[in-house]
Amino acid sequence: MKLDASTYRLSEAGRPGQIGLILGLLGLIAGGAGYWVDSEQFFFSYLTAFFYWFTFAIGGLFFVLLHHLVAATWSVVIRRLAESVMATVPFMALLFIPILFGVHDLYHWSHAEAVADDVLLQGKAPYLNFGFFALRAALYFGIWTLLSYLLRKISFKQDKGEVQDFPHKTAFISAPGMIAFALTLTFASFDWLMTLDPHWYSTIFGVYIFSGCVVSIFAFMILTFRFLGKNKILTETITIEHYHDMGKMLFAFMVFWAYMAFSQYFIIWYGNVPEETIWFIHRWEGSWKTISLLLVFGNFGIPFFILITRVAKRAGLMMVIMPIWLLIMHWIDIFWIVTPTLHKHGYHISWMDPALTIGIGGIFFYLVWSRFIARPIIPVGDPKLKASINSLSH
Amino acid sequence: MSSSTEHIEEPLIKGNPSFGKITSVISRISEKKAPRMWYVAISITSSLAALMFVSIGYLVWEGVGIWGLNNPVGWGWAIINFVFWVGIGHAGTLISAILFLLRQKWRTSINRFAEAMTLFAVMCALVFPGIHVGRIWIAYYMFPLPNQMDMWPNFRSPLLWDVFAVGTYFTVSLMFWYVGLIPDLATLRDRATTKLRKFVLGILAVGWHGGNRQWKHYELAYLILAGISTPLVLSVHSVVSTDFAVSIVPGWHTTIFPPYFVAGAIFSGFAMVMTLSIIVRKLFALEDYITLRHLERINKIMLLTGMMVGYAYSIEFFIAWYSGNIYEAFTFINRATGPYAWGYWIMITCNVVVPQMFWFKKLRNSIPVMFVISILINVGMWFERFVIVVSSLANDFLPAAWDYYSPTFWDISTFVGSFGLFLTLFLLFIRFAPIIAMSEVKGVLPEADPHHHAQDHDHKEPNDGH
Repeated sequence: MKLDASTYRLSEAGRPGQIGLILGLLGLIAGGAGYWVDSEQFFFSYLTAFFYWFTFAIGGLFFVLLHHLVAATWSVVIRRLAESVMATVPFMALLFIPILFGVHDLYHWSHAEAVADDVLLQGKAPYLNFGFFALRAALYFGIWTLLSYLLRKISFKQDKGEVQDFPHKTAFISAPGMIAFALTLTFASFDWLMTLDPHWYSTIFGVYIFSGCVVSIFAFMILTFRFLGKNKILTETITIEHYHDMGKMLFAFMVFWAYMAFSQYFIIWYGNVPEETIWFIHRWEGSWKTISLLLVFGNFGIPFFILITRVAKRAGLMMVIMPIWLLIMHWIDIFWIVTPTLHKHGYHISWMDPALTIGIGGIFFYLVWSRFIARPIIPVGDPKLKASINSLSH
Repeated sequence: MSSSTEHIEEPLIKGNPSFGKITSVISRISEKKAPRMWYVAISITSSLAALMFVSIGYLVWEGVGIWGLNNPVGWGWAIINFVFWVGIGHAGTLISAILFLLRQKWRTSINRFAEAMTLFAVMCALVFPGIHVGRIWIAYYMFPLPNQMDMWPNFRSPLLWDVFAVGTYFTVSLMFWYVGLIPDLATLRDRATTKLRKFVLGILAVGWHGGNRQWKHYELAYLILAGISTPLVLSVHSVVSTDFAVSIVPGWHTTIFPPYFVAGAIFSGFAMVMTLSIIVRKLFALEDYITLRHLERINKIMLLTGMMVGYAYSIEFFIAWYSGNIYEAFTFINRATGPYAWGYWIMITCNVVVPQMFWFKKLRNSIPVMFVISILINVGMWFERFVIVVSSLANDFLPAAWDYYSPTFWDISTFVGSFGLFLTLFLLFIRFAPIIAMSEVKGVLPEADPHHHAQDHDHKEPNDGH
């Protein structure tokens, strides 16, 4: 892997992408075979895997929107990677299609006979029906694809020095884009995850999912830049100050996740209304209890005390261990949201869960990587680039 | 780099003042005789504060029956005002702590008086639950004090959590504010001409002489306090929101309440910062220090947080329908069309519709527009709490018990009086303390940067691109 010092493009760098593609195809083939073994398990595993990687893609979109919206300086140098991540959004739309075929296996509300003897589901039918569900998904992906396309296009034009007044133009996209993003992500998480239990509802659910998206994009970026750094790429450009800043964001949104998770749990627990507590009771049943406690300590308690220290955010090893740790926890979080619908009395990790997660993850990484190496890996035309490289953390 | 245009940060302070000039401009406000307007203002505000104390006196004499509370609505203006005032305080902590951690240097011009505003707002807030307890002379039972009767407050009650949350918040905010003040108090002490002034400021400045080690310790302490204050910005209003959310009253019991209340608090707090800073910069000719750029940024934050509360209103409404819970659905439709619909639509108009004007750069930079909007936002935020508290209580599960709530003279006089208290404290503050953090403003001047080159000393006029 080599970096051209004048164009900032990577050469001889196809290998990580190829590995991702091979792993991805193997995982998808193996996991796909699971459809004929146990179609219900297959779709639940697929939804977990899909949504897990979807949070990375959408996290990338959020990062770029936010970066432009606040006209940030320090993060200019890491922007291109996030842009490559959000470029996977249209492919996520393709990967969503199997879920449409699995609607009957995944979503109780999609069964006409279930709706027929359920007053609540009859009331929700105008929203929870297959046609509208698919239409909404198309709308969400349409909006995300448009935003990711526009923001990438203007960024590449900036590389060539063709954009006048870049901050204004990007803000013009990002400001309404952020509103669209907030609403679409909220309703997407309602549609795809919350309606797995069609009786249950929680107003904070969208924000809860959002917090995990931001954790995943920052963890992903830290790990990718560490990987590049190991190959002696950008070692003078992505400095310890940037890792410190990314580490702070990782820490902040990990705590934000805990804040959302606690608010949701606490208010439902204290109110003790059966139709709401049922969701947590399912997640406290049998061995699910272990997973619930693992999330409390693994996704908040332990990383909180590690990541709060300055030394962890500036240390080489911890900035590899903690992102990996939090990404594992993030997967468990999604698993913990999705799977209790299927395995009610205790957790059960099917072989399809890792197979499909590796499958979609491999394809995801291949797509990110091939887009990343196709362009200069930092926004070479950004006037704030030099200030970003030199930015100092506290 | 293919680009030739180098990024240039515009100076935050206009007019290219020297360090000495900043010191004299800011210090003189508290050194020279107060302007006549100040005396006029404080006599009005302290009369209003007196009105509040009279109202409280009558309340203690007569009891909470003098308020408009009725049978289903046991929480009226007192709780609304409590939440309102606690909310106002949040901008100060956000500016001083979170913007500090995010390295937002523009905060330096407004953080001092925003923090002071926090303290005064929390004082006003604490009045209301304090006087609402009925037997105010045993209000100390709100604290878990060991006693021979072995009587404790209910630790499961969010009202007790409030005592801790708001108490912690006030203490930390006070420490933060005071630590930040020390270098500036020392500056005032060194400039003092009378013995008394030198003595008092000398005690308050705790022996500050600006040495290297002192600055080192100071900055560490400031960073730690910022770190401690940051979760407080979120926790205080989250705990306040649990006053409502942990109950099962329709319209109160909803999981988004904690972040939604925090966003609303920051929203109203920034609106109050805006209202006050427009007056202060005009009154003391501080236009070079609190520039249009500062105000524009505050406007952007108000636009953002206004949309966050708009998001919460919409999601609540959607889930009220989606849940299939007829009580939830009724409560929200009742808010929009029922007896308090006027309050609901004031809330929507002021909090969601009006701030949309800040999409336009021209309006974002117009002082009269932002002044009016900032006041409207606080009207809207007050009504938000009114809608939440009153509409959910007045029309609850038992239609036979429904009643319409209206305030009495004493409700109004106590609330109006609390503005008197708030503004009186604020006027005293601007009279006796440096209202802009001199040492911090100096720190963001271009010449404070070690890499600063003396030759480009005359800064470019800010042509405010963004």
